[in-house]
Amino acid sequence: MELSYGPDESGHSMSITNKSAIVGIGDTPTDRLGSKPGEPRKSSAEYLAWAMHLALDDAGLSLKDFQGQGLGVTIPTAYPQPFWPEEVSEILGITPGFLLGGATGGAGAVSLIGGMSAAINSGLIDLALVVGAAAPFSEHWGGGIQPGDMRDWEIPYGTMGPNSKIAMVMRRHMHEYGTTLDHLGKIAVTARYHASLNPLGYLRTPMTIDDYKNSRLVADPVRLFDCVMPANGGKAYILASPERAKSLRKQPVWVKGFGERSNPSYGPRAGSDALVMGVKDAGRVAMEMAGVKHKDINFLQLYDDYVIVVYLQVEDLGFCQKGDLKFFENTDFTFKGQLPIQTGGGIINCGQPSTAGGVHHILEGVRQLRGEGGDRQVPNAKIGLISGLGVLPYGKNLGCCAVAILGNEV
Amino acid sequence: MAELDVRKPLPAITSEAKAFWDAAAQQQLTIQRCQDCRAWVWTPRPSCNECGSQKVEWTPMSGKGEVYSFTVIRQVVGRAASKAFEPDIPYVIAWVDLDEGPRLITNIVGCPVEDVKLGMKVTVQFDKASEKIWLPKFKPA
Repeated sequence: MELSYGPDESGHSMSITNKSAIVGIGDTPTDRLGSKPGEPRKSSAEYLAWAMHLALDDAGLSLKDFQGQGLGVTIPTAYPQPFWPEEVSEILGITPGFLLGGATGGAGAVSLIGGMSAAINSGLIDLALVVGAAAPFSEHWGGGIQPGDMRDWEIPYGTMGPNSKIAMVMRRHMHEYGTTLDHLGKIAVTARYHASLNPLGYLRTPMTIDDYKNSRLVADPVRLFDCVMPANGGKAYILASPERAKSLRKQPVWVKGFGERSNPSYGPRAGSDALVMGVKDAGRVAMEMAGVKHKDINFLQLYDDYVIVVYLQVEDLGFCQKGDLKFFENTDFTFKGQLPIQTGGGIINCGQPSTAGGVHHILEGVRQLRGEGGDRQVPNAKIGLISGLGVLPYGKNLGCCAVAILGNEV
Repeated sequence: MAELDVRKPLPAITSEAKAFWDAAAQQQLTIQRCQDCRAWVWTPRPSCNECGSQKVEWTPMSGKGEVYSFTVIRQVVGRAASKAFEPDIPYVIAWVDLDEGPRLITNIVGCPVEDVKLGMKVTVQFDKASEKIWLPKFKPA
């Protein structure tokens, strides 16, 4: 049984197309505290403020513009404080009129595009700041085992975090479709190449397929260069109504479409197809809302906690059939190619400040659509697809999937 | 049946899962089944998460299944409690699809890790983890 429901099939015309635009972005450098010489020791609070001020400067707005407006805060995975969004308001000096926490893990940053665009479209607010930060290398939060499936049905068997589960997804895909390390390595090498062209990249030394294949086995068959890289850092973006957007400093980047699927299941919930991701439906909904076809999309910025997850998303978004190895062999995924992906390097190469890592893909999409991509600029980019993913549940693929379509023309 | 290291994290016996652990202590694998839509409900839930029916009943399972996928744990990482698994390295974490349908996270035991393959037929065994907790694991059938 395939779950298939939502506003797209209810007969209603529901849309937030062109009702809001991203008008400012802020992206701090990332660090891993001592992995490179001279790395700073900064707190989450400092990264939050840094990212916010970069975004304010970019948009030409000030703190007072956000009083009574929207504030969205990604909720870090390791932070047990349930009132974190309110505390962030105090850290930044904002009294929001509409406060949302990004509660979909790494998908939170993209989910908040939907939530804040809807709030702007409804007239609740006409500006929203979305901000996220984490400093796992300089702050040590308590790591108690919380109630839930992981405590009761996973950890007692000696599972070692998400690596164990994604390893089973990757092995199953290789078994069913004959996917090899060459297919997956092409994704990893492409993303690293783009990071080498991105001044905000962290891992900037180009690598070869052999470097990927020879990287350390972490959770067989998952290797070190399959995995996202935790880092300290902060990221922010600002959304505005069309009226506000037109009077600001930078070219607006319009929200054209949005779709989300949390707790997706392809097959029975007790035994779903673990190789299919909720982006299949989130992407379809977002593309239908935006009125775009696959050929209209100039680049993909895909949430990349693992290389296999990027690969699965290209399939499930419908750019090729499931298991079409030839497509991956024949497609140039670089910024100059037929289907540019991960043009900033992704968080595998730029670093994942916990769930704030999900903001990375939005910021890179905005840069490309503004023509600020520098040495990695996608030629004539007009439409881009951004995804966010969060949570690896007990027996399935990722539990929270959000997709946004951005464009630089109304 | 191996006696597990007592320092390993144990599941909490939540009220919705108590019947599962009671049966496991009697060497019986049970899974909830919806009496209205016939869906299997796993992990334990207060009602059917396919149709919403509250008529879910614990149902004895064959204990037979096959390996859907697996990984081999060769190092412990993360939280402190992970250290308790160090003496078991290398060991197999698997998704086992029961013949009846539901998929379980479990360990494959009773054979060298090199022998574990996708599609391998397996059968349940219960390892005592505490007086009340017997963990269902799987061995080659």
